[in-house]
Amino acid sequence: MLKLLGSIVVTIAGGLTGMVIARSYSLRPVELRYLQSALQMLETEITYTATPLAEALGLVAARADNRVAPLFEQTRAELLSMSGCTAGEAWENALRKFYPQSALLTCDFSILRSLGSALGISDSRDQSKHLRLAMEQIGMEINRAESNALRHVKLWNYLGFLGGLVIVLLFY
Amino acid sequence: MSRVTHLPKLHLTAQQALITTEENNTADGRRLSKPAPWQEVMPVLPVHLRRLISNLPSNLLEKLEEIRLRQNRSLIVGLPDEDSFVSQNGVPVKNPGEAYLVTADDIQRVTQLISGCSLYALEEELKNGFITLPGGHRVGLTGKTVVEGGRVKMLKYISGLNIRISREVNGIATPLLSYLIDHKSGSIHHTLIFSPPRCGKTTLLRDIIHQLSNGIPELNFPGQVIGVVDERSELAGCYRGIPQRDVGVRTDVLDGCPKAEGMFMLLRSMSPQVIATDEIGGPEDFAALEGVFNAGVKVLTTVHAASLTELANRPALNNLLNMRLIERFVLLGRSRGIGTIEKIIDGKTMRPL
Repeated sequence: MLKLLGSIVVTIAGGLTGMVIARSYSLRPVELRYLQSALQMLETEITYTATPLAEALGLVAARADNRVAPLFEQTRAELLSMSGCTAGEAWENALRKFYPQSALLTCDFSILRSLGSALGISDSRDQSKHLRLAMEQIGMEINRAESNALRHVKLWNYLGFLGGLVIVLLFY
Repeated sequence: MSRVTHLPKLHLTAQQALITTEENNTADGRRLSKPAPWQEVMPVLPVHLRRLISNLPSNLLEKLEEIRLRQNRSLIVGLPDEDSFVSQNGVPVKNPGEAYLVTADDIQRVTQLISGCSLYALEEELKNGFITLPGGHRVGLTGKTVVEGGRVKMLKYISGLNIRISREVNGIATPLLSYLIDHKSGSIHHTLIFSPPRCGKTTLLRDIIHQLSNGIPELNFPGQVIGVVDERSELAGCYRGIPQRDVGVRTDVLDGCPKAEGMFMLLRSMSPQVIATDEIGGPEDFAALEGVFNAGVKVLTTVHAASLTELANRPALNNLLNMRLIERFVLLGRSRGIGTIEKIIDGKTMRPL
């Protein structure tokens, strides 16, 4: 009886582990997509209405999905605090806090980081170029992340469960 | 076309910096407590420069007029009668060798901070070479200009900054006012204030506007409706359209508006008795002035010039002088401190009063 109970627990644990890994694969393209649309909003604010960065970031944070809004909200808060840091530094600080909680990978991190160093320091045409470049790069990552997700989500969902079963069978 | 720009509110909390410049703005934008003028510009400096400036002796800080940053050169603060280098520890020094050397990073940081990290929102200002901060302080910029079709398109490689601290001086216009008031018409004379730069034209003009707008009981003068075209946001120091400086109770301010266009806008829409502008210069300004002079309102304005001869040497101005429209010329100087009224000239007889 105890054996049966143990094997059920092991199988479930294996299955859950698999689902957690699968989830991180399926979340990344979703987050990247949200980021892309948030950057699109930021570009619109900057090029069409020349909204000051702090205000623009606030508007983006209010409209963007909750998963990515903290990145923009924190950058804004840091800018408004007038602690003497530049937009690039504020962005990087916010990014460092945002990154561990997100499903993003290092390559996504570096795209966002290099965008930060250009934020707010040039005319709107130049800003638009930098934002577009970042959106394009994110777009490429989205494609890659989606094909990865397609393969890995199913794989891990089964693999976790089956892995649990294998362990049970080995020790039963 | 003028673009209305919004700088983020300069907020600075005590933990983050050494100097608190917390502005307790009420919902309608009125200011409750006011920091010293020099404190208002601190948020645009990086932290180490804030510390350096705030370490200066307080009697010096009270008089502080300018903070000049030039890349790879010594940090200079401008005072009413001299300037002084500032050492690494915030001590005023005479020898430029001992002074703090402004780095490229400093310049870049200040440039970002004065623009609220939004240079793209200030393209128009960069073309003109200056940015106005909340509170009406002004930052002049130099660097490499990008010229397109003979006009300055952009300023890049910004390498020199001059932060000019503007201050309100209540009452400096008082000795002048009795010369400006025209009891016959119940208003004032058309007045042109002129002086070389840094003699307090804007400060004087602001005080005149403030007093005329509120009315002067001692001179038995009722308050006038005054329209101010504040192209450079210096007179009223508007932040999001709300004057941060006290320009009086009957004053309407068109902020950031080109002078020529703004004067007619006010004339048509706000029925002012007096129209005031600062630093007229371009031919279009003079053309517009000629129109306004004959529109039943009084004009109060300033211009850069060191003497009447210099005024007359400028073709656009000479034309205006020949029309004998201006009734009072006021020359400012620094012989007894900034804002000394050197001469008041009657425009009809061209004799000093």
